[in-house]
Amino acid sequence: MEYAAQQIINALSFGAEYALLALGLAIVFSVMGLVNFAHGEVIAVGGYTMVAFAALVTANPLIIVVGAVAAAALTSVALERVAFRPVRYADPTTGLLTAFGVSIVLQNLFLLFISPRPIAVTSLYFLDVPVTLFGVQISSLQIFESITTVVVIVGLVLFLQRTTLGLAMRAASLDFEMVRLTGIRANRVFALAFLISGLLAGLACIFIMARRGSVDPHFGFNPVLKAFVACVVGGFGSLPGAVLGGFLLGAVEVSMLVLLPQEYGGLKDAFVFGIIALVLVWRPDGILSPAKEKGDKL
Amino acid sequence: MTLTRGQKRGVLGACMLAAILILIGVLATFFASKYQLRLIYSAYVNLIVVLGLQVFMGNSRLTNLSHSAFMGIGAYAAAISVTPVAMKQISLPDAPWGLNAFALDPLTSAIVALLITGAIAFLVGIFIVRMTGTGATIATLAILVIVHSIFLYRTDIFKGNQAFFGIPQVFSLTSIVILAVVVVFIVRGFRESPWGVMLRASADDETGSAAMGVNVVRLRLIAWVLSGLILAGAGIAYAYFLGTISARPFYFNHVFLTLAMLIFGGMRTVTGAVLGTFAISFGLEVVRWLETGPVIVGIDFPEVLGLSGVMLGLVIVLTMALRPVGVMGDREIEELVLRDK
Repeated sequence: MEYAAQQIINALSFGAEYALLALGLAIVFSVMGLVNFAHGEVIAVGGYTMVAFAALVTANPLIIVVGAVAAAALTSVALERVAFRPVRYADPTTGLLTAFGVSIVLQNLFLLFISPRPIAVTSLYFLDVPVTLFGVQISSLQIFESITTVVVIVGLVLFLQRTTLGLAMRAASLDFEMVRLTGIRANRVFALAFLISGLLAGLACIFIMARRGSVDPHFGFNPVLKAFVACVVGGFGSLPGAVLGGFLLGAVEVSMLVLLPQEYGGLKDAFVFGIIALVLVWRPDGILSPAKEKGDKL
Repeated sequence: MTLTRGQKRGVLGACMLAAILILIGVLATFFASKYQLRLIYSAYVNLIVVLGLQVFMGNSRLTNLSHSAFMGIGAYAAAISVTPVAMKQISLPDAPWGLNAFALDPLTSAIVALLITGAIAFLVGIFIVRMTGTGATIATLAILVIVHSIFLYRTDIFKGNQAFFGIPQVFSLTSIVILAVVVVFIVRGFRESPWGVMLRASADDETGSAAMGVNVVRLRLIAWVLSGLILAGAGIAYAYFLGTISARPFYFNHVFLTLAMLIFGGMRTVTGAVLGTFAISFGLEVVRWLETGPVIVGIDFPEVLGLSGVMLGLVIVLTMALRPVGVMGDREIEELVLRDK
């Protein structure tokens, strides 16, 4: 019983992390139809900022954390300005391949200017201490992670429902031309989407760093790969879908870890992706995919 | 059989591309050093990969990121079939299902590899072709990861990141040039065939073409399987020349590289695929030489690892920003020469 409870909490915290990342991808996708492959590198920028802060400025974890989140958010906005603006109204494939290219450039820049090897940051380990809650042993990190994700989701929902810019962003995902006609600046909406996406990446970065403790050029790759899968399963472009997909993926991953015999451990990812593929057979566009008009849209 | 005007032009265009491929091959045999020959050989292998990509991506306009995995499946299937028993007893002592107790001749092995890859491509394709745009792309990414983790995990069959050695080296530059020419004709033939035309129409306007009776899903599946077979061919040629393979070359780096080639030249045309492959292959060699920190006119340049990666990424970003359809756009080679009527 306790074991089951522990695994459920594991699944929830994994899921929370994936949901954070998937939300970051989905918010950009829903506004401009861009599959942001470079999201992982935004996370890596957050990681490297931690390294820089810890080495050069201060060991105060609060400052390090704030710095990392700010750096990730700024990077995300800067990428929109430099790389994604030219492909803003292009078809999704063009945007996807651009993001692909941006991701390769950034990865190699880390390689070129920083180091191909992992760099350790130890100042966040204090987040990860074991605590016993109702007789179940869990890590404090898992609690932080779950709470953060819930807060973020609530905040995002409030922002999208209650503010004018939030309304504009929701409208932008349906008909961008109309939004512009109402006098809202397209630049602002795009920048905001990337800002939110970068903030989410920064938050996720903190948790990944607290767990792994080091950053390398391919740092963001695996988490974002999972986030992509979460988005696809939930339905690309749907924010509730991204959250659902994230938690579903966390659940599948933990149950694979628990149920698979030890000697198949190396095949965990293959099984996870395989199961996800089966979900896609059932619903090719994801579980909560927004309804799509196939008629002529003028 | 009468050919349409587009098909006649297709044959002409394919002949022109074939002439270029043969010319490069002949020049290489006469002037290239042994090391350069290997580079040119791998450029031809990449050319076949890019052509295989073009069949699916160029005609259906869905992005495929799993191609290197299919190349790997083809390479491993051929390698396991063709390697002599004595050799496999050493390299794969624990292989299950008697995989190390038989050996076939190179031609039969190649056919076996094509059949296996084709069958896998078909089974996977059934799922892929039903998805739309982005979902399909990420699903292909998932395939790449699954196949790679199987390669790494089943070391008793694939040797993982270690070298699978002892494959008879039966291919030479001549064979790969011939293979590339054949593939150019197949790919161009598919593009101009009724299937190819219908598939391209469906990429431009899915609803409209469906209303005209185009079965989009079936056509995509045909293109997907054909693409898988061509990629298997590239894998076989790769294994048959090098004599040794490992799982590492069939992963993200190769996916990036070949995708950049296709994008730069222009994925809509076969000419674009050929142009992109050679432009990037040769361009990248220059960058790699710069990467090692050479001495140019007395100035000693520093060593810059990762420069080739940055260049590759920039090629993709700049192509997408400045000319999203690639250098060739919608023009095939013969359209540069012939007058439009």
